Amino acid sequence: MYRLALNMLFGDRAKLAMLLCGLAFSALLMAQQSSVFFGIMSWTYTPMVNIRAQVWVSDPMVEQVNDAKPLRDTDLGRVRSVDGVAWAAPLHTSFVQARMQDGNFKLITLVGIDADTFAGAPAILTQGRIEDLRLPDTVIVDEWGAALMGRMTVGPDGKPRSMPLKVGDTFEVNDIQARIVGICKVRRAFTGGPFVYTTYDRAKGYTLGARRTLSFMLVEPQKGVTPAELCDRIERGTGLKAWTSDTVIWNWGERSLARNTFWWFWTNTGIPFSFGTAVLLGLFVGIAISGQTFYSFVLENLKYFAAIKAMGAGMGVIARMLFVQAFTAGLIGFGLGAGMAQGIGRAMIEKGMPPFVMYPQILWATFVLVLGISFVSAIIGIIKVSRVDAASVFRG
Amino acid sequence: MSPLAHTIAVRASGVDIFFGTLENQVVALQQADFEARRGELIMLVGPSGCGKTTLLSVIAGTLTPQAGTVEVFGQRLDGLGQEELTAFRRKHLGFVFQSFNLIPTLSVIENVMVPLLIQGRPYDEAHARSLAIIDKVGLKGREDGRPNALSGGQQQRVAIARALVHEPPLLICDEPTSALDKDTGGHIMELVRDLSRSPERCVVVVSHDHRIFRFADRIAEMEDGRISRVVDDPKLLDATHL
Repeated sequence: MYRLALNMLFGDRAKLAMLLCGLAFSALLMAQQSSVFFGIMSWTYTPMVNIRAQVWVSDPMVEQVNDAKPLRDTDLGRVRSVDGVAWAAPLHTSFVQARMQDGNFKLITLVGIDADTFAGAPAILTQGRIEDLRLPDTVIVDEWGAALMGRMTVGPDGKPRSMPLKVGDTFEVNDIQARIVGICKVRRAFTGGPFVYTTYDRAKGYTLGARRTLSFMLVEPQKGVTPAELCDRIERGTGLKAWTSDTVIWNWGERSLARNTFWWFWTNTGIPFSFGTAVLLGLFVGIAISGQTFYSFVLENLKYFAAIKAMGAGMGVIARMLFVQAFTAGLIGFGLGAGMAQGIGRAMIEKGMPPFVMYPQILWATFVLVLGISFVSAIIGIIKVSRVDAASVFRG
Repeated sequence: MSPLAHTIAVRASGVDIFFGTLENQVVALQQADFEARRGELIMLVGPSGCGKTTLLSVIAGTLTPQAGTVEVFGQRLDGLGQEELTAFRRKHLGFVFQSFNLIPTLSVIENVMVPLLIQGRPYDEAHARSLAIIDKVGLKGREDGRPNALSGGQQQRVAIARALVHEPPLLICDEPTSALDKDTGGHIMELVRDLSRSPERCVVVVSHDHRIFRFADRIAEMEDGRISRVVDDPKLLDATHL
């Protein structure tokens, strides 16, 4: 009977198309919105991804990575003295205005790293060498920032176009020249400013007037000491706050600064509510469209189901037929919706905006929800068919 | 037990069916008695609203009477639960409906296969048996088409094939010719008579189409919810009274 149930479903192409549209649309909405949500949320802890270190140390009042509360320079020595620390390097992060050659100002994320060890340096340089940061007034700019901070020129077609910054170009931060010696590839951040790397000491100069410039300390544990264990030792020994740097969302530990950053944005901004509403909307729209379409599919076939009942099919058989139909439609609808979400995601990633992270868990959750919609639709149909009197087939 | 007892296929005694509430009660059957024998084609005739279809529903086990007993091939139906009635219909009954009730999204052969698949027969066996009976009803070559592509008479042939494919001992036909013209109706009744005729099978046909009365072995006339008379020779029935 299941084969016939499927043939009944596929036999009505128009109804099937509408049913699949409803399911695919909800799957698309749920998967796409969730992926954009997790993409945006992953941007919140971007510094943890771009500035690599096993342990981060901060002021005890720090709640998330974008909220640096400056430390005293002497704290660095205290951390270095903790048993289990292989090395500790200073890190400066701040948002400052950069003045471009054409007079425009751009907000940048200034990152000052230790000039001796280059701890926290970008992993990928597409142009230049990290060692060149030791030259006077030098910075390394990220690729996206280079494009964003580029100057406007007139192209050969006479139309204005933006020329990305390149090695050798200059700009100013607090009236101090910054000469580009490298272009790096890093992940973009929620706060929006391009990443501009320089040395820690030069960063102090760029932030004139700041009494304290040590935002975080990057620490490497000695061999045999786990990051979590070292965090405990640092906190006990210095009273500062120490964090691990796990950024894998499904895997991060209790001490992860990325995790804290994620939940800080979760609880202190309207982002989860906004995206959660869209996901819920997808669910409700899915239930409404699919439920309604499947219900009308059942209604149109009601007299045939009544005939099948009269011929001796029990409700168990009919219920299974309806489940087979609903779940088959659900599977196809999920495939279409998830495929479209992937396609949109790829296009987004290519354009770089907005962020898009489709975890396997998002696909699984969407799959379960779409099948849930199918289940509800099937139940509605089963209730309707169960109420049909088999004797109604004799009433014309 | 009388010598005739084993020849009785259907026996309904003192059957009452009421619809509606006490204030607006409609009496559909009142103390209705009916008998059909094995090997015969019996017609239930009468004016609209006399209770023909209701009695048919009672015999088919799709409607439970408020009073009286119903026995089909020695099995009392009035004491059976819904699941038992469903199983009984699956095994013993074949149906031909007034409006065919062929599933439009299935092919002809898939429609015919339904009773066998409901019985749990393997798909290949159901397919082979359905093909054979489609051949018998004269629709060979049309088995893969959709019912909507067939004429009314051809659709009713498919319905007859579906009703007989699992070889039920009781065939129930509800106004099988009402949607057909005279000639087609005649052909359909010939087909019903020829294909269903068997010493063990009973065919009950509800109709008010006097043009097909000649196909009946006996005719039971209904009036006001009960059988008013049974005519052994259909030619004796004056159609003008119906």
